[in-house]
Amino acid sequence: MKNRFVVYMLCLAMLNVGSPLVAQAELVTTLQAVEASARTQDLAAVNAALAREEVRAQFALLGVEPTQVESRVAALTDSELRTLAGQMAEMPAGADALAVIGIVFLVLLILEAVGVIDVFKKFP
Amino acid sequence: MTVPGLVRAVLLCGAALAVAGCASHGPVLEPIVAAGHPERVELEATPFFPQEQYQCGPAALATVLAAAAVEVTAESLVPEVYLPGRQGSLQPELVATTRRHERVPYILPPTVDALLATLDGGLPVLVLQKLGAGPFPGWHYAVVIGYDAARDQIVLRSGTERRREMPARQFLASWDRADRWALAILQPGVLPPAADFTRYMEAAAGLEAVGRRDTAALAYEAAVRQWPTEALPQLALGNLAYARGDLAAAERGFRAAARLDPRDAAARNNRAEVLRQLGCVTLARREIEAARALAAGGPLAAAVEATAGKLAAPSDRDAAGCPAD
Repeated sequence: MKNRFVVYMLCLAMLNVGSPLVAQAELVTTLQAVEASARTQDLAAVNAALAREEVRAQFALLGVEPTQVESRVAALTDSELRTLAGQMAEMPAGADALAVIGIVFLVLLILEAVGVIDVFKKFP
Repeated sequence: MTVPGLVRAVLLCGAALAVAGCASHGPVLEPIVAAGHPERVELEATPFFPQEQYQCGPAALATVLAAAAVEVTAESLVPEVYLPGRQGSLQPELVATTRRHERVPYILPPTVDALLATLDGGLPVLVLQKLGAGPFPGWHYAVVIGYDAARDQIVLRSGTERRREMPARQFLASWDRADRWALAILQPGVLPPAADFTRYMEAAAGLEAVGRRDTAALAYEAAVRQWPTEALPQLALGNLAYARGDLAAAERGFRAAARLDPRDAAARNNRAEVLRQLGCVTLARREIEAARALAAGGPLAAAVEATAGKLAAPSDRDAAGCPAD
């Protein structure tokens, strides 16, 4: 009986270690309280658990070592996860963003030239 | 629109950008320094980690972490912050990596004044820049280690250059285009120079949110000392006490927060929940009704309703020793 109790407690403890981000369901967390009073009001637009899954998948796709994915995800807050989930491909990074902007511009130009869009109409 | 028209549009855009870039003249730093900063600051002791290709993120972060007494190198940070598929590092990951090393990632207010004040206080500042040309076209992380108002120069550890001087106007343009993003690394318990309360609390709460509770506790205690009349640090300490199962200390924290700011719905909600767990239903109900009125329609409304739901069922009399209010 006693052993079984210890096993249960260990299971609980391990569950807890694995997910330090599981919210204390009943209390408003400090971060929620700050964010409620601060500029960011984009809260809860994306489910945090889904955002976490997406960031995990994108990390793997973008070449993060499998052994590192989990600890990198674990250090991000829910709102950071939401930001990353939506924009990991476009956010500023390293030395290639200029190329991204260049490509976007080029695509716009081509679409304009073939008549799909008409965004440059201010100029004669 | 014809194709020659397009070419003209492109040229016009370019010309407009060029004009906007150099429309104003005169020194940038002098008027700001005159408002109360030293003429010249350079944090010469700041370490330097020259970057490898595309890896300005790990290099710049290693510089500020090492300056905050963390034992890292640019190389050791590569697996933590570098994103091979983007050939670079993302801002939230620099912040997250700071947390993993038990330091407080403080994001500065986007002003030159805050940047100079942080340098005056002895902290180097990691900045994001958008450089249009030169050896690093595109987004770039560097570390500001000083400035010289008389010569209107900003001094950086940047890329492979141990000491790079950049005209302040040029630096400002590159920083502007990166939304003036700037990060200072704090040792736990140390406040940033010219600290902004909300930004500081956001940084500390981020540590708590990812389970770095001991580091968060040191950061909150420093906040209580610096801002004794603010409710949020007390709420934060209450949350930490709750997380380690100390209901009495949690109740004290939430009560202190609610006293300091009677309109704090989070403090009242959390106090109500802890009082309920302590068996003090009467007072818990009073607190949750107050929280309900304050949180209605706001981002905390759902959390407050959940607590109220648990208090709705008829229940026993209050436990012994419940506070009166």
